[in-house]
Amino acid sequence: MSIAEPSFAPARAERSARRGLAARLLRRPSAVAGLGLLGAILAMAALADVAYPVDPLDMVGTPFLWPGADPGFPLGTDMMGRDIAAGIFHGARVSLLIGAVATLVSLVIGVGVGAVAGFFRGRADHALMHVTELFQTIPPFLFAIVIVAILQPTMTNVVLAIGLTSWPSLARLVRAEVLRLRDGEMVQASIVLGLSDARIILTHVLPNVLAPIVVSASIMVASAILTESSLAFLGLGDPNIVSWGSMVGAGREVLRTDWYVATVPGLAIVAAVLALNLLGDGLNDALDPRQNRR
Amino acid sequence: MTSNASRSLLLRAAALAAGAAALLGGTALAQSQTQAPRDGGTLTAIVQPEPVTLTSAINTAAPTGFISGNVFDGLVDYDLDLNPRPALAERWEVAPDGLSITFFLRKGVTWHDGHPFTSADVKWTLENVWKTIHPRNQATFGRVTRVETPDDLTVILRLSEPSLAILSSVNSNGAQVLPKHLYEGTDVLNNPHNLKPVGTGAFVFKEWSKGNHLILERNPNYWDKGKPHLDRVVFKVIPDAAARAAALEKGDVQYAVFSPVPLKDAERLGKLPGLKIETRGYEWISPWLFFDLNVDNQYLKDVRVRRAIAHAIDRKAISNIVWYGFAKPAISPVPSTLPAFHDASVPQYEFDVRKAEALLDEAGYKRGADGVRFALTHDFIPYGDDYKRTGEYLKQALKRVGIEVTIRSQDTAAFTKRVYGDRDFDISSAWFAAFSDPQVGVTRAYWSGWVGKNTPWTNGSGYRNPEVDALIAQAQGQARQEDRIATFKRIQQIVQTDLPSIPLAELKFFSVHAANLKDVVTHGDQIYGSLKDAWFDKAASN
Repeated sequence: MSIAEPSFAPARAERSARRGLAARLLRRPSAVAGLGLLGAILAMAALADVAYPVDPLDMVGTPFLWPGADPGFPLGTDMMGRDIAAGIFHGARVSLLIGAVATLVSLVIGVGVGAVAGFFRGRADHALMHVTELFQTIPPFLFAIVIVAILQPTMTNVVLAIGLTSWPSLARLVRAEVLRLRDGEMVQASIVLGLSDARIILTHVLPNVLAPIVVSASIMVASAILTESSLAFLGLGDPNIVSWGSMVGAGREVLRTDWYVATVPGLAIVAAVLALNLLGDGLNDALDPRQNRR
Repeated sequence: MTSNASRSLLLRAAALAAGAAALLGGTALAQSQTQAPRDGGTLTAIVQPEPVTLTSAINTAAPTGFISGNVFDGLVDYDLDLNPRPALAERWEVAPDGLSITFFLRKGVTWHDGHPFTSADVKWTLENVWKTIHPRNQATFGRVTRVETPDDLTVILRLSEPSLAILSSVNSNGAQVLPKHLYEGTDVLNNPHNLKPVGTGAFVFKEWSKGNHLILERNPNYWDKGKPHLDRVVFKVIPDAAARAAALEKGDVQYAVFSPVPLKDAERLGKLPGLKIETRGYEWISPWLFFDLNVDNQYLKDVRVRRAIAHAIDRKAISNIVWYGFAKPAISPVPSTLPAFHDASVPQYEFDVRKAEALLDEAGYKRGADGVRFALTHDFIPYGDDYKRTGEYLKQALKRVGIEVTIRSQDTAAFTKRVYGDRDFDISSAWFAAFSDPQVGVTRAYWSGWVGKNTPWTNGSGYRNPEVDALIAQAQGQARQEDRIATFKRIQQIVQTDLPSIPLAELKFFSVHAANLKDVVTHGDQIYGSLKDAWFDKAASN
């Protein structure tokens, strides 16, 4: 960074936008609600070992205790006598972790493919977009089922399956944004200055497409949590760990008699997905320059 | 706290067990009241999954047997104590030296197309189907050297060695007789009559609408006069368990077998006035659930470790909590449902965590700094949530004694290859049918000849004991039942001492049927047998 680089208007606007982002986000009640809910879930995940130091898979109580029936088990116990509250706390950790890591995998692939395709255009674009279309023709959830079924259901494979199947829409979004910026004066000037392609992409193009990426990432975490839950519900979760989805899946067969076993973790999933969606909406509004002028 | 919790767990377990017992006792009581059967009515039953073919002689799958037993009779059927009762054979004699078995066939029996049923049908089926195509009977009838038919109603099996197991497997599922005049000279496996069977049984095949339903009608010329009572039996295909429960609850369907609804739902359905849960009718298959311990594993090769694992497992909890009471703790691989062969005096491994820990210490596997002694994997038989929960129980039970278990799940093909082919596992679970003679169903789990042969549902543990192999061979050729029983008891003593596999529970499959459907279970092999005794009590209709 020793050479004096020209400072371009859009980038400066972006930085100033980021400074005011938190303030703008906090002005929106839905975003505040989302942040609060997400904060609570993160706190549960962080405090799981303190609140419930024992393994959530341990059979600690009488099977089929309804919520509230025993003060020791506020959310009741499941068919094996496992504490549902402990499962919710420890499951928060697993579900959030899976959501975050799967989204990260998806971001790396999606942003990479989109940026390269949009920036280089031509053959690279053709090839990469054909691959993307190939992925888009297969319903992502069915694709994830196939991957997990073939690779065995372990946590790593579930994360990989979700990440590998959810990037195409992001790649197309990033590509469109990059194509828009590609012919802008900022990029043209950088080329004239002799900056390398990688440097142009990383320092000048991507920061300007950050807003849509951030918004879609928050939604992707939510959908990754949902996908993991659906896989676990179908019996394709890692049997060695407790996730909210695996808890719903285990409760499925007692749905007619003891519906709370599936419903309690189901509500946790609803809360997490709602929080992330509210946050995503809030971010969308906050990062939208047209909305800010109002 | 922990001791309190485990005490309340036990209390609840006891309560569950008592509840299940009351449930079962109540059913038995209701069945024992005798009333004159009424004729007429259509029974709608569920078959799940849809069978591939309708002749058990070529395919031993459960759904095939469930339907086929109504169209075909066996030479015998088995009562609830598994004693053979006359069916197509009126009586039978075993020569004193055990080297021949003579069946005297019933007179005047005809196939559904009017052809008379004769000894030639039995001889032809034995020689061309049982000894060549049937999966289990190649072993059961292996010692038959010659079949003689001195007249139309007499069949004599000449044996190279006594083979008493034959008499435990000559019902319509174990040894189904096919009509020679329709099968001779044809490709048996692809004979069109496999899909529209012609038998001698109480019900005649009417139609099969694939993926939808299958209809059998009353055989007016049935040899057992006055039977069947029902006019028609419709088998419906309902793949979804919740839909099956709903159809039973609504009364659209009056009979379903092989634990057709989720176990917890069974308790609920059993309490409804219009439905009954029935656990009898499965005696002939006598299923038992077990863990196979891979004796080639570096830890599991030590018998002390295997015994420690047995001590760490509370088999009562597995029966009462994991299986909701639809199981009974097992102490031997020969289930107590085979009272003659079952040995209750085998070494027992009571639930005792301290003993388990002491054995593991003694074997030299002390707890590490993190409390872990060593790690194992567990592959559960992928037949449903009950088996998965059994695996989850194992994981938690062994964790208490310092063994870390990782559960792996996979589909059935991958599971059988892993356990019976590649032997790439530490602990696996499975259930086998013992059938009414341990020779048919139990010895396969311990005979060393099966190890690593990739033959599913055989010796998974990799147990190789020349003494046991010799005893298995000896039992096959023993003429006197007392000698065979003694041999099988000796086998049980040895394998429960060496403990290559841990018997966990005798599974109680259950059927659900309408309360006004009477005498739906009258045989020990009922699920593969005939509904000829069943009748509707209209008075009790809901």
